[in-house]
Amino acid sequence: MYKIMMFEGGVYKFNELKELIEDLGGFIIQELVMQTDTILHMAFPVEDEPVIRNKVKELGGKLIDLPLAGTEILVVTPSMGKHHAVNPLCDIGEYLRRKGAITHIMGLARGVGKRIAQITAQELLMMEEFDALIFLVGNLKECIEAKVKIFDAVSVPYIVVGGPAEVDCAHYVGGLGRRTDRMRRKEEFDKLELMAAKLGEVLDEKRREVEEDPLAASPLFIKELIEMVIPPTPGEEFPIVVHLDGLRLLISDIEASKLRDIEVGKKKLGEISELRKSLYRGYLLKILPEAVTGSVF
Amino acid sequence: MEVQVEGADEFARASYAKICQDTFRDLGVRTSIDHTYLYLNPLEHRFLISVKIGRVASPLKVRDVTQAERDKLKISDEKYAPKLLAVLWDSYGARVQQVGRLEIGLKLDEKEFEVVKELVVYDPREDLIARILDGIDRILPEGARVRYPLPSPSRVTILASEDPIPEEWKRRAEEMVRALENHV
Repeated sequence: MYKIMMFEGGVYKFNELKELIEDLGGFIIQELVMQTDTILHMAFPVEDEPVIRNKVKELGGKLIDLPLAGTEILVVTPSMGKHHAVNPLCDIGEYLRRKGAITHIMGLARGVGKRIAQITAQELLMMEEFDALIFLVGNLKECIEAKVKIFDAVSVPYIVVGGPAEVDCAHYVGGLGRRTDRMRRKEEFDKLELMAAKLGEVLDEKRREVEEDPLAASPLFIKELIEMVIPPTPGEEFPIVVHLDGLRLLISDIEASKLRDIEVGKKKLGEISELRKSLYRGYLLKILPEAVTGSVF
Repeated sequence: MEVQVEGADEFARASYAKICQDTFRDLGVRTSIDHTYLYLNPLEHRFLISVKIGRVASPLKVRDVTQAERDKLKISDEKYAPKLLAVLWDSYGARVQQVGRLEIGLKLDEKEFEVVKELVVYDPREDLIARILDGIDRILPEGARVRYPLPSPSRVTILASEDPIPEEWKRRAEEMVRALENHV
C-alpha cells in the first residue's frame, strides 16, 4: 500500500529525493518548482516512511501528510444559488484540496426543498464516477432529516454536512450549513477538520475493500505507464487524476484509442481495465481486480 | 434594523437572524428597514417574512457625488458614475463629455451649471422594494417557491412554502401581520 505525502523545501539535493522515491518503488504524482521553492507530491510504500523522513530531514525540507491524496471528491449542493454558494461551498472545496484531494462542486437541478428534493438519474451516474461525495445541506433540522433519504440512492461513500449540531443521519457533520460569510475562525477550521477526518474514515472503508480484493495493478503505476505513451499536454493542470480504483484521463479520443495496447507486465492495459467515456469530464479507466484478470507479472 | 425570528429550534433561529442581518446589509437596505420578522415552520414547510420599511435615505444629487470646478465636474464617488453620465447626457446631450475616468467636461453657462448641481442622480426609493424582495428571496429557504404576498402600506410580507398554500394558512398569515402592525 502506498502513502502519499507532500514535500516542501528548496532545490538543494532535490534530485536525490526523487531518485530515492524511484529506488523505493514509489511515484512522483506532481512536481512544482518555483525558482528555489519546490513542492512535490509523492507516493511511496508505507513501510518506507522513515527512510523518506530521514532524507527530507537531511535536505532541510518539510514533509506534510495528505490524508485525502489520490482521491477525487465531489461536493454536492442543493443548487448553485446564493443560499449555498459561495459560502460555505468554496470553503469546503478549498479545505479538501489542502488535504490533497482533487475536488469538484456540483449543484443539483432539483435538489432544493424538503419533500420536493430529488436527484436525477443522470446526476446519480455522474456522482458515481467519484471516490466519495459530500452533500451540503442547510440549517433546518427537520428538513435535513426528511431530505437525507434521497442520498441513499447513491452507491459511493458519502458524508452529509449541515448546520445543526446533531441530525438523525449516519456520517453527519454539523456546523457547516448555510452561511453568509467565510469560515476563517479557529472553531470553524475545527469543524472543517472534523469533516475531513470523517471523510477520511469513509474513504478508509473503501480503501479496505480495495485491499481485500486487490487490483491487477496500482492506479499510480498505470498512471506512470500512460504518461510514457501519452505525454502531458502543456497547460493542462491535472491530465490524469488518481482514483482509489482507477484513473480519470483528460485525453483526446485518438489518444484514448492507444490506451488498450499499453503493456502492463505480461498483459495489455485493455485486458486488465475497463475504459469508458465520463459523463462529466474525459475518460474513466477502472482497473479490474487481480482475481478477475490474473497476475500481470 | 431589528430582527425577530420565531419557530423552529434555537440554532435555526440564531442562524436565520444572522442571515437576515447579513443579506440586507449586503444589499444596502439595512438602514431603510425598521424591523424584520421571520417565522419558520420547517415541519409543515411554511415560512413567513415581514419587513417593515422605515426611513429611506434622501435622493443623491449631482453635488453629492461630484466636486464642481470651472467647466468641469470631478467624480468623487465612482459607484455613481454611470448613472451620473446617463442623467447629464439625457439633459444636455453632446455638451457633456467624459474627459477622463473621473472627469466630466461641460459646455454650459453659469446658470445652467447651477441647475446641473441640483439634478437627482439616484433615488434610493426607486429600487428599494426590488432590493428588499431580492433580499427576501435570498433569505427564505430555496425550496419554498410557492409564494403568497400579503400587501400592506408600510410592509413587504411574503408567505412561502414548497406546497400549495391552504386558505387556513393564508388567514393565519394575515392575523400574524395584523398582530405585527399593532405591536411593532
